[in-house]
Amino acid sequence: MNASRKNVRSALVLFTFVAGMVGLSFASVPLYRIFCQVTGLGGTPGVQSSAPGKASEIDFHVRFDANTNPALPWRFKPVQREVTLKLGEERLAFYEATNLSDKPITGTATFNVTPLKAGQFFVKIDCFCFTEQTLQPGETVDMPVSFYVDPAIYEEENTRDVKTITLSYTFYPKQDDAKVSEVRKPSATGEKG
Amino acid sequence: MANAADAHHDDHAHDDHYPSFFSRWFCSTNHKDIGTVYLYLSMFAAIVGGGMSWYIRLELMEPGIQYIEDFQFYNVLLTAHGFLMVFFVVMPAMIGGFGNWFVPLMIGAPDMAFPRMNNISLWLTFAGLGMLLISAFVGAGVGTGWTVYPPLASSIYHPSAAVDFGILSLHLAGAASILGAINFIVTIFNMRAPGMTMHKMPLFVWSILVTAFLLLLALPVLAGALTMLLTDRNFGTHFFDPAGGGDPILWQHLFWFFGHPEVYIIILPAFGIISQIVSTFSKKPVFGYLGMAYAMAAIGVVGFVVWAHHMYAVGLDVDTRAYFTAATMVIAVPTGVKIFSWLATMWGGSIDFKTPMLYAFGFIFLFVVGGVTGVTLANSSADLVFHDTYFVVAHFHYVMAIAAIFAMFGAWYYWIGKMSGKQYSEAWGKVQFWLFFVGVNLLFFPQHFAGLAGMPRRIPDYPDAYAGWNYISSVGALITALGTLMFFVILFRTYASGAKAEQNPWGEGATTLEWHVPSPAPFHTFEDQPDMSGKAPAE
Repeated sequence: MNASRKNVRSALVLFTFVAGMVGLSFASVPLYRIFCQVTGLGGTPGVQSSAPGKASEIDFHVRFDANTNPALPWRFKPVQREVTLKLGEERLAFYEATNLSDKPITGTATFNVTPLKAGQFFVKIDCFCFTEQTLQPGETVDMPVSFYVDPAIYEEENTRDVKTITLSYTFYPKQDDAKVSEVRKPSATGEKG
Repeated sequence: MANAADAHHDDHAHDDHYPSFFSRWFCSTNHKDIGTVYLYLSMFAAIVGGGMSWYIRLELMEPGIQYIEDFQFYNVLLTAHGFLMVFFVVMPAMIGGFGNWFVPLMIGAPDMAFPRMNNISLWLTFAGLGMLLISAFVGAGVGTGWTVYPPLASSIYHPSAAVDFGILSLHLAGAASILGAINFIVTIFNMRAPGMTMHKMPLFVWSILVTAFLLLLALPVLAGALTMLLTDRNFGTHFFDPAGGGDPILWQHLFWFFGHPEVYIIILPAFGIISQIVSTFSKKPVFGYLGMAYAMAAIGVVGFVVWAHHMYAVGLDVDTRAYFTAATMVIAVPTGVKIFSWLATMWGGSIDFKTPMLYAFGFIFLFVVGGVTGVTLANSSADLVFHDTYFVVAHFHYVMAIAAIFAMFGAWYYWIGKMSGKQYSEAWGKVQFWLFFVGVNLLFFPQHFAGLAGMPRRIPDYPDAYAGWNYISSVGALITALGTLMFFVILFRTYASGAKAEQNPWGEGATTLEWHVPSPAPFHTFEDQPDMSGKAPAE
């Protein structure tokens, strides 16, 4: 192979490295989401189909937090501020949302838990956040979430001190509906989610 | 291919027949000319970027706002300063400038593997510089910092097209560097003179090789992230927008996955330059050649798995932070190998304190100062106090603005005779070194104390308690500016009336192939490659 053909072949091999890294960079989008779901890092709750059942007598507290993006004209709040449950026990809680505007609006919610290290031990069985919610003008809806706290939280040294987990949701207008020019700056306290 | 007789005839013909001005300088396929233009681009950007930093230091000289009342403009200044220095001063000078000039010469190759692509890289870099400068005049400019974090960089908070121009600027410069990296790797792998094995290449060539691999693997990730930001801003995607299921922290991961290798891209060629200079002016080969080459490779590899030490304050898990702390500290080991090897090179050597060697000494000492504050910052727990303070600013300016710039000055003084055929005034070179040395240390050392005392970065004004350190730092900036001005005076006087440079002004310590060609180096060199078999490593 003459010198310049060898050079071109080497260059093409190197181009594949470049293409590969660009591909990895875009692949990072789903990979990052899956990584957080699998590891619970960032306070990402887990999802399972059923609870293991009560596993200890220790009282555990779960608090509920609700936020809305300023572009979403909904009142969104938890029906109960806090529940007390046993580790492993399945519990149902409710949030309530009211569409305060005169147009039907679809909302989507993001969520996480604090402390962040408790993410992998807070497991949702069913959640309103798994589907979009469309509220008619003036409509109020009860939104259920069923969950349990994995008893393994007490076995890990890192999380043994956790006695309270706060579940937080932030509702946003579904992006197709939002008019970007109407979005005001979020408040200084910011939002969780 | 022409036979030997034709090649011999062509040598003479080419040596005294240059292309016309436009062809020669705008359509160049000559590694020396392209290197020269890169150096001029770098000097221009250095004046602009330096000017911005002097304006910033002027404002910060005293508490209160004296000159810059538009704080968005202040943010635009510090952003442009960062981009200019990283992408349009250090990289074009060290890789585009000295890399292009001396890699082919040092390996005995007639030119780069792809001379036309070399020119494409040059003009893409110019275009990137142009886009960056334009961005300052669009809307309110790019006031995000060089890190361009969303949501500040998103369309809500930067609604004009300025950030889009900035993204385009980085895409162009990034493409230039990726193509250049391919060019360097293929040249170094495929075009070494016969007998010059990889383990006989000069260490500067090794440094450019490792740098090129880092560019190849890191820049595409920046390109991907920039594209995501561009579509978030303009085409309705939500990569970094929680409202659409995205995450601004993803930007930080992607940016710093590129950003950390980037700082090694900045410093590795400097390591190579210092090896050449120390060896030459100690009249000894560099101590531990293999250790030096593979230390650079190790720094490059480990540099890819430490990115989150730039993200300790975002809410990472404690075990994650522990890993990144440990991994970051590991890099100090191969770096220490290099520092000690340079010292061991000098030990027992016959030291000649010419200006390039002064800069090399300065580099070794000041890179260690900057490096140890890096080890301090590597500790995730301590970093929660230091994050976004002037302690960080002091750290990276020591390793980049002082150490890397010293390597660039050292390289200029070392190689200007070869490039231009004129030699600089040794007496004035030494004066410029000391003026610049005093200036940059006065400028950046007090910033450690301001940062430890809690002064945040990227601010146009500060509480009175920080006034003292800021005043000293600004005086240092003034002296640095004078030192820079003095460098340009030396440069002009060298071109205008410098003494004729010898083929090898440095004596027996200068063993690499560039000293085997005349000064200034002819338009074409090594069209017949020298036979290097049986020769010792040209370090």
